[in-house]
Amino acid sequence: MTAEPNVAPAAAVLAKPAKRQRGPLWFAWRRFLANRAAVVGGSVLGIITLMAIFAPWITPAGPTAQAFLTDALAFPSAQHWMGVDDLGRDFFTRIVYGARVSLTIGFSAALFSVVIGIPLGAAAGFFGGRTDWVIMRVIEIFSVVPPLLAAMLLGALTGGGFWMIVAIAALFGWVQVCLLVRAQIKAFKEKEFVRAAQALGASPAYVIRVHLIPNSVSPIIIGFVLAIPLAMMLEASLSFLGVGVPPPTPSWGQMINNGMNFMYFYWHLAVFPTVALAVTVLATSLFGDGLRDALDPTMKAR
Amino acid sequence: MTGYILRRLLSVMVTFFVVSVIIFLMMHSIPGGPFDGGDMPVPEAVRQKLNAQYGLDQPLYVQYGRYMWGVLQFDFGVPFQSPGETVLELLGRAWVPSLVLGGLGVLIGVPLGILLGMAAALKRNSWIDYLASTVATLGLTIPVFVTSMLLILVFSVWLGWLPSSGWGEPERWILPIAAYATIPMATYARYMRSAMLDTLNKPFVTVLRAKGLSERQIVFQHVMRNSSIPLVTVFLPMFIGTATGSIFVEAMFRVPGLGSYFVSSIRTRDYPLEMALMLMLTVMFCLAYLISDILYAWLNPRIRHGGKQE
Repeated sequence: MTAEPNVAPAAAVLAKPAKRQRGPLWFAWRRFLANRAAVVGGSVLGIITLMAIFAPWITPAGPTAQAFLTDALAFPSAQHWMGVDDLGRDFFTRIVYGARVSLTIGFSAALFSVVIGIPLGAAAGFFGGRTDWVIMRVIEIFSVVPPLLAAMLLGALTGGGFWMIVAIAALFGWVQVCLLVRAQIKAFKEKEFVRAAQALGASPAYVIRVHLIPNSVSPIIIGFVLAIPLAMMLEASLSFLGVGVPPPTPSWGQMINNGMNFMYFYWHLAVFPTVALAVTVLATSLFGDGLRDALDPTMKAR
Repeated sequence: MTGYILRRLLSVMVTFFVVSVIIFLMMHSIPGGPFDGGDMPVPEAVRQKLNAQYGLDQPLYVQYGRYMWGVLQFDFGVPFQSPGETVLELLGRAWVPSLVLGGLGVLIGVPLGILLGMAAALKRNSWIDYLASTVATLGLTIPVFVTSMLLILVFSVWLGWLPSSGWGEPERWILPIAAYATIPMATYARYMRSAMLDTLNKPFVTVLRAKGLSERQIVFQHVMRNSSIPLVTVFLPMFIGTATGSIFVEAMFRVPGLGSYFVSSIRTRDYPLEMALMLMLTVMFCLAYLISDILYAWLNPRIRHGGKQE
């Protein structure tokens, strides 16, 4: 609509709201900001991420440097904010680098989950029929096998290791993404614009890539964000049992396991990794839940 | 209904078969065999003889068939870590602590969670609603071993009220039961709250109010019944969460139950025990899956009368 200078006032009134029109993302952002728990969770996660990125600048020593052997097992002090561990390593350093391990594993596992989940979910939702049946049966198997148990078994068989944990977490993380994408694509594939594209001769791959995936951005973001805390929990649990990330790589799960042996006398070795893990997983979950509520259009009605 | 149950039963059996094959293949994918001998080398001829004696020279599908045939007769072999008994005997012994602690945890956690969720839904945005949300979020996001650690730190290390580990006197049970109860409590608090809120907003509740029923009658006779379907569906994830959590609870509190044997079987590569535990857990989960499906169908007339399930 071209706005000419001498049109009737009614047209001018009509043109005005067009200026103020907001996209769905703007509304999602507003809904997110209204959720106090999610904002706090997001901020805490942001701070932890910054600490993890700038770890070398805020810690007195390297994560594996046994720089304070004479002070081994020292309690928290001004010099060592969280004390020193049994092997003479500054514990604050270990905790901060632990955030690095936990977050890296969380984010990469979520990324791989999305990479696996999108094509499978798209195929299941779009083609339906036999493709859908096969993919859903695979998912059914995954829903019967408890992820943590199978992950323990896989961790024990493969000996663990950083990327192995990421692979295991992704192996169990894609299911959620796949289901979310499948539902969204099933809902969209009957829409007129998709029909129109098909009538113009668009191939399934083109329709999925250009029309359906962009319309599934919300569930993909939701799946991605919800996969992060699950992967972090998985890593911590496996490392706690000794089949996850091997020492000396700092991992909170490992530190909790070690802290158990000292907890009656040197409480700091148990308290700090426990609190760090609890706070990080909680913050990430609250942030993810908030994003989901903000992005999910069905929540709009409430 | 019968046809539906049979269909589900068949699907569960297929799932069990696939899972058992995958577990078996995973166990056998590790390089090396029991008689390769690092500490005690065995002559090649003897090794072959031993392998033949235990059927290890057979192709994998024959070994799988033999193993499953044994399993069908409750023969799981002998655990490496205590060769004096069979796997079955060991499992029979290890069941008790897990069942007592886990069972009590569920029995305490589920009603508490339901009550908390109901109170939260009926008194929305009150302090009890915030309490329920906090409990639900904490219980569902924080790993069980972290919860257990916090319980030990507060009640054993800091306050010194309760012992932190062991199995025997009932006072040693309190902390593990509390740790177990967090999962069912959190799960049920969250789902009961949202199910009740959903139902309370339905038009039929408004009609009941307009007809002059008391709030008590509405809640207990109509809303409760209509909010119970999600409680049945959520039973399965809750059960899986509790069973998986038992591994960590038992490791933290040093309880000699199934979970701690699972951990030790993984650490010591005790394959017969590990395989038996995995199979048993799979059967348990398949059964829980089946039961929750059937209960769901029974509660939901649209499925009960042969409608299409989506």
